Amino acid sequence: MVGLIAVRTPSAANVMTVSFVSEVAHHPTTLWVSIDQGTYTHELLRDVGQFSLAMLHDGQAEVAWACGTVSGRERDKCSSLGLEPRTDFLFLPTALTNTACRTRATVDLGTHTLFIADLISGEVNSHLQGRRNLLLSDL
Amino acid sequence: MRLPARNIWDTRLQCVCAVVSARGEDGVELFLSGNFAQATLDPARIVINPNRLYPIEGAIRREGRFAINVIPASCPKEARALYAVRRRQPHKERVLGFRCEEGPGAVPFVPDSLRTLFCEVESAHDTGDHTIIVARVVEARVNAARAGELPLLYRDLTGSTRLGRALRAALTRARVIDFLRSALWRLRPPLPPDLARNTYLDGGQTDEEIRSILRHGVTDTGRTISPGHPPAAPKHRVGLCVVGTGWGLEHLRFARLASSNVDLFACGRNEERTARIARSVGAKGYFVSLERAVADPRVQALSLALPHYRHRDAVETVVAHGKHALVEKPIATTLADADALIAAARRAGVILMVAEDMHFRPAVREAVRAIERGWIGEPLYLLAHIAAVTRPSGWKGDVAQAGGGTWMDNGVHYVRALRLLMGEPGRVFATSAMQVNTKVQGEDSLQVLFDSDFGWQAHMFLSWAAERGPLPDIVVHGEKGILHLFPRTPYFDFYPNAPTPISAFLSLVRPYWLQEKLRRPRQQRRRMRLREDDLTGYVYQMREFLSAVSEARPPVISPEAARRDLEIVLNGYQALESQQWTLVPVASPHVRRLSTEIAPRVRGELR
Repeated sequence: MVGLIAVRTPSAANVMTVSFVSEVAHHPTTLWVSIDQGTYTHELLRDVGQFSLAMLHDGQAEVAWACGTVSGRERDKCSSLGLEPRTDFLFLPTALTNTACRTRATVDLGTHTLFIADLISGEVNSHLQGRRNLLLSDL
Repeated sequence: MRLPARNIWDTRLQCVCAVVSARGEDGVELFLSGNFAQATLDPARIVINPNRLYPIEGAIRREGRFAINVIPASCPKEARALYAVRRRQPHKERVLGFRCEEGPGAVPFVPDSLRTLFCEVESAHDTGDHTIIVARVVEARVNAARAGELPLLYRDLTGSTRLGRALRAALTRARVIDFLRSALWRLRPPLPPDLARNTYLDGGQTDEEIRSILRHGVTDTGRTISPGHPPAAPKHRVGLCVVGTGWGLEHLRFARLASSNVDLFACGRNEERTARIARSVGAKGYFVSLERAVADPRVQALSLALPHYRHRDAVETVVAHGKHALVEKPIATTLADADALIAAARRAGVILMVAEDMHFRPAVREAVRAIERGWIGEPLYLLAHIAAVTRPSGWKGDVAQAGGGTWMDNGVHYVRALRLLMGEPGRVFATSAMQVNTKVQGEDSLQVLFDSDFGWQAHMFLSWAAERGPLPDIVVHGEKGILHLFPRTPYFDFYPNAPTPISAFLSLVRPYWLQEKLRRPRQQRRRMRLREDDLTGYVYQMREFLSAVSEARPPVISPEAARRDLEIVLNGYQALESQQWTLVPVASPHVRRLSTEIAPRVRGELR
């Protein structure tokens, strides 16, 4: 499945396409996301310790491409997406779901870092619930 | 409409479905996962999060290897079956009919999957009620036969058909679902949008809760026997002599119904009665003594429907002549007699089977299958209600000859049912009300309690002094539903805890008095039909014996199983006398393992 990670710091914001993400546990209610240590998102996430995850649907392959093929260091990827602020988080209104997460622990995997994060709150787009998740094979 | 996510399942984190397979202590372990993903590219690593309540978690930690078998979109039924299967069920692959093979490092895998990733654990991280396993992919196999097929997605597990999903999608797009949801929420407000709390309440556990649940074992290996399937008819003609003209008449009838490939003979002390019975069932002949019957070359096997105290002598006589024996339950009235007749049959190299219809009763067999497949979740309580006003006379009223009262006579059947449905009991307690029939020496009613280290309990009420009425004779309560079994009926009933559509609809009816008026217990009932030619198991048990004799093979159930039934009944009598919880000796190494680890503390609490 493919989603977007959105990280917002007091001075910057960035989104990045991710597919290395899944559930961790029900208690505490957590997920993990694995981020390449060389990315701008990794840099911001390490500083701010919180992010939002937008799950994309099967009609959003273009969004995934746009946010997954260029670095946020080179271009502002947030401005064209119509992201909506939710307190400290950015939500993508056209996604299947958006979830606000706060990092609880990290695991260093060499090239990547596994961020284990609490699910703080979330939003569901009810009129999109008939759609399936965007898969890597759709890209 | 933008709605708050109320639990983790709302967030759509679960996506592609896979069977996670590993080698467990008791064989292959399988687990349905919608939560796995790649974590690094080079080297390729996978992360999975097995639930700590499931045996797969320990299996992966112990073995350090597992496989991820991606389920094709065309196999939602198999995925749903694995999702629903009983959590602590050993050998899930056998229960579900999954074909498993051995891959690299002896890791079991499912070759019919879309692709299989063989993984070696690099690290395991305690992250709450699930464990995060980081593993390196050591080999990936793609199933060429399924090329081009998409994987099954978690959302497609919810049981709806393709048409149902399309309809729901259309209604969602048209905002009809939103409208209905708003209307429903006016009647019944939704949960507050506390994602973490709702997830915990729906399916999370604290460490303390996990310890409490796992106190009874992560796998239930307490069942040592399984029910018999409808046997095939005997391949060759068998000469069968039924000894005894009381219940023996029924044995003759069962044998006649079991197969046409049998030559029947009757044997009884009263020549006139025996001859009349022989004629009535179309027997080839009759005998007036056991010695003559066993000496006749036309007779290969004898069915012994005799008083309990005569079982040992009769079996020893039969097997000494090289003939096969089917003996009525209980196998004997003492363990010494049971051991002696089992040893005699073994020395003679002939078949000894104990007639136990419960082992072949279709409703019990199907209930066992339903439990294994997770219909009622973990089985918690078995209730057995065995009552019919009976005034036994002769040997049955004499404790020395019958070995006891209703507990020996009927209890032995329900002990077998208990062992099939729930497993081996660890402790037993028995008590009785006042004796009504003072003309019999044995107890004419009693109640018996059982307790198991595996976390279930049972209660049996047996009576020759009262009637059962229209109640089921066996009820099994589980965490997700109830099974009701009735004697001699072509069905059994399943009451799931989850509301049926009609129950769910009626729960919304207001005012409450109208709802109460409209609700009926049967609205929750699913009646499961049994399409069998024998609803009691009597004919099947006879057919199995005849087939075993005809094919010169052991029957599907050993006489040791009947000895075990007797042992448990005798433990019940000890408890009745001492009015103390009595330990039931362990039945097998599997059961012993849990008993030694966990039982002393549990037993200490009970005593």
